[in-house]
Amino acid sequence: MHKAFFRLAAAVVALAVIAPLARSADRALAVTIYAGDLALIQDKRDIEVKGGRQRLEFEDVSAKIRPETVSLSASDLSIVEQNFDFDLLTPAKLMEKAVGQQVTLVRVNPANGAETREQALVLATNGGVVLKIGERIEVLRDDGLPVRVIFDKVPENLRARPTLSVTITSSHAGQRPATLTYLTPGLGWRADYVALYDEASSKLDVEGWVTLTNSSGTTYDNARTLLVAGSPGQVDSTAQRFNYRPPRERSSLQHPGTESGSRERLGDYYLYPLAERTTIANLQTKQVSFLNVHGVPAERRYEFHNAWLGASQTPQSAKSVYSFSSSAHAGLGDQLPAGILRFYMRDQRGDPQFIGESRIDHTPMGFTVSLETGDAFDVKVQPTVVKRTRISTFDWQTDMKYDISNALPRQITVHLYQDGLYGDVRLTAESQKSTRPSADTAEWSATVPANGSVAVTASFVTRF
Amino acid sequence: MGTAGSTVAAIDTQQAVKAGSPSNLSVTAYRSPQRGEGSLDLDTLGGFALIRETRTIQIPAGETRLRFEGVADGIEPATAILSGLPVGVIEKNLDAELLSPQALVARSVGKSVVLVRTHAKTGRVEQIPGTLLSDNDGVLFQTRAGVEALRCSGLAETFSFSSAVGLSAVPTLSVLVRTPEPVNTIVTLSYLAHGFDWAANYTATLSPDRKTLDLGAWVTLANGNGVSFPAAHVQVVAGRVNRADAADDALAGQEWVSTTGFSTEPAVLANCWPRGSTSDTVPAVLVISAQPLGSDRLDMYGGVVPAALMESVVTARQRVIQEQLGDLKLYRVPALTDFLSRQSKQVRLLDRSAIPVASVYSVKDPESAGHSPGASDPLLYQPATMLLRTKNDAAHHLGLPLPSGMVAAFAVRDGNRLLLEESGMRDLAVNEEVEIGIGVSPDVQVRAVREATHTQFDHAPAVPLVPGVLSVKQLQIDDVLRVEVHNARTAAIQFELPVLLAGDTRIIRADHSFAIRKGRPLFALTVPAHSTAILRYQTARSELRPTQPDEAQ
Repeated sequence: MHKAFFRLAAAVVALAVIAPLARSADRALAVTIYAGDLALIQDKRDIEVKGGRQRLEFEDVSAKIRPETVSLSASDLSIVEQNFDFDLLTPAKLMEKAVGQQVTLVRVNPANGAETREQALVLATNGGVVLKIGERIEVLRDDGLPVRVIFDKVPENLRARPTLSVTITSSHAGQRPATLTYLTPGLGWRADYVALYDEASSKLDVEGWVTLTNSSGTTYDNARTLLVAGSPGQVDSTAQRFNYRPPRERSSLQHPGTESGSRERLGDYYLYPLAERTTIANLQTKQVSFLNVHGVPAERRYEFHNAWLGASQTPQSAKSVYSFSSSAHAGLGDQLPAGILRFYMRDQRGDPQFIGESRIDHTPMGFTVSLETGDAFDVKVQPTVVKRTRISTFDWQTDMKYDISNALPRQITVHLYQDGLYGDVRLTAESQKSTRPSADTAEWSATVPANGSVAVTASFVTRF
Repeated sequence: MGTAGSTVAAIDTQQAVKAGSPSNLSVTAYRSPQRGEGSLDLDTLGGFALIRETRTIQIPAGETRLRFEGVADGIEPATAILSGLPVGVIEKNLDAELLSPQALVARSVGKSVVLVRTHAKTGRVEQIPGTLLSDNDGVLFQTRAGVEALRCSGLAETFSFSSAVGLSAVPTLSVLVRTPEPVNTIVTLSYLAHGFDWAANYTATLSPDRKTLDLGAWVTLANGNGVSFPAAHVQVVAGRVNRADAADDALAGQEWVSTTGFSTEPAVLANCWPRGSTSDTVPAVLVISAQPLGSDRLDMYGGVVPAALMESVVTARQRVIQEQLGDLKLYRVPALTDFLSRQSKQVRLLDRSAIPVASVYSVKDPESAGHSPGASDPLLYQPATMLLRTKNDAAHHLGLPLPSGMVAAFAVRDGNRLLLEESGMRDLAVNEEVEIGIGVSPDVQVRAVREATHTQFDHAPAVPLVPGVLSVKQLQIDDVLRVEVHNARTAAIQFELPVLLAGDTRIIRADHSFAIRKGRPLFALTVPAHSTAILRYQTARSELRPTQPDEAQ
């Protein structure tokens, strides 16, 4: 066992001696980042190759590299095997690999600091370290007194950072360019929008930023960067777990559109190339501007959704919702990559103040986007179940009342939605005409006077 | 294996210019979106703030990396907006790798360090030059003698680093700009940052005759960041604003690096080899789990300052000024104020006196006084709750938006105030009803007794489910309930009993009249002093019961 280990270690050392390091100093990087925590890295660097079989080591690759996706291309090279060594150098590993080998012990006298050195053979590291010193067997630091353990060297296959190595054969020696391509998680992007709403003119100024984050453990210097709006399907189970998104409460897309923008596409994905090379440092958040539009008409509305048999003892705030178009005519005039849109509004001193944010989906051009920013302080709805009656063995009649109050000094319209009308629900009576945006939902547009209130009533016949 | 060296070099190729120190500061605090009512928790400030500041910049022609040092540690870099730059911003960056013991060790892997070994008894200091080999689960270094592990020998060991290897000491936002000519201007930077919160705190003082109330309120706001905002415009915003949760994001799965004191960056653990000794009697398998005992923690700084260390400042001279902000309410502290690091500050929100109130007795849990089986326990008395009711309008000396917060109700006795109850209040708009709980009265006891239950089959014919085998028949179930209210007080009281009716339950008979309030039937009775009021009502509900076809006939 020990002999076998020695032989293996010797082989590794022999190989390592001739393994040249593929220097990263003058590499040309191209980074393509997808919207779902995935990036494709193309790493071009000049490598110095000897003739015959040899091992190449690549430093500065992503620490989260998916080694099974690595491919190396260069002229007159054939790959024998690829290795991703993730056996990390730790004190415990170092001691484990020293089993059967000699280490140096330095005992320090706690009283006067005098040092005594001796050689020891590491016998085992199960639970504690057992040493053979001369003919004695001893447990390391069993008495709690200071003992330094000095190892001669670090075994070659233990590394400070995960390292990619490729064993290749080449028919002739010389320098040549090589391209290393791989996928890695840890890089991601989304869009961040800043929207300033002007209450007097009902117009929005929208600025769009691409936000890149890098937690892949590596810095990408001077990389040509391309962002892809859309996440390619991944089979990787970890990626799927990370990509899980809880079901949305309300979609940001309201009215569909069919316009096409001028943005570059790849298949059905939109591409956002960054204009210049950039350095994406580890643990850095980077933003690059991509959109700046002024004076987009926007509408503010109030919405309230009530669940089936929803009733509350206290009035609930309606939601403030802003809607605008991504169309070229009277809109943003661009397709919008998914991200977060933050709304600002000027206060009486003229300073913009934050009034809420909302997530936005990948939005093609021409769509009407409707985003919720939060609760309206002054607009409240109190839904009550007035009466439930069994009108026959299996049929129920439910009388609902929705009291809407408005403490704002102006007349408003509240869009009231009764959800959960599944199956053969009939709306038998209502105080004002409703519309049905879907079979499951009834909508009333209630006009509420300034500092006033109105009530909407409705009766439903259901099987439940 | 130099992994980090090239990073620093690349950044250095541009000219780095530090922006001037911030001035003309403005902080707008927002409440924690999760907190509906109640007061804030200084240990976990769940709100956030919009921070705006102006800085003077002087940048030369060409490409410049403009550094904004000393932004709030809780900065959300994606929200940073920079205006006033006459030239195009190429990109914005936030470098989250702060100067910390962990980052120092991580950045120094593969670099030369000096190992400092101090002898415990003699104090003799030994300085040994070496190279840091790895920091995975323990630190290894190489000296001329060979490879050793840090702090596994039992000696006092630490590293002395030659430089801070490109780490920033304070959170820094950097912006890459290009300009054809030198620029000397003032820019405005605004961003959202977490680690802030605010709440309203009301005190309601009841007059001795219980007919009026004095309501006062403070705005309490807190800054849990390590950055102070001297001479700042301070605002707070009431109303719930939507936040898109960063965790449920396209970038989820990555560690969204927190740069605050709330940092979750793991401490460097000086893990060693297994340290089992001959005196261990536990099985070998368990010894492995005992391994952390051999771990020494390197220093770990950061972390939120405990509440006790938070300074509290109360300002009573001035009152906040309210204005409408879209559908929200903005309150402005009228004068410039110092909003310091780890500080909570109070500013007066309102003072209203002699608010007419109606004092009402009710039951805490009207459901239990209704139909639950426990309600028929004849021994189950519950004390009545007391509340004060008024309306948020000018006639009641109110008529202003009341942001949510904690209400402490007091009564006055011999010139001293006594706390009656603390309760939460939600956001109240003008013209809404205001209810303030003032505790429980043992003098007023309530119990509900189910006196009788009648079951009768409906006249409707049975509906066969499985013909000839099983039918279903509709039943009507009537309950007669008696509610007793015993008043041991020396004055008459107003008592209200809301009734929760599930399904198609309805009141078919009652010896008191009832009204519908908040969607529920509500009996309101006056109970004279030293007497008991009895309320009887009968409810009816329907139920389906499976029956044999012949039985149903």
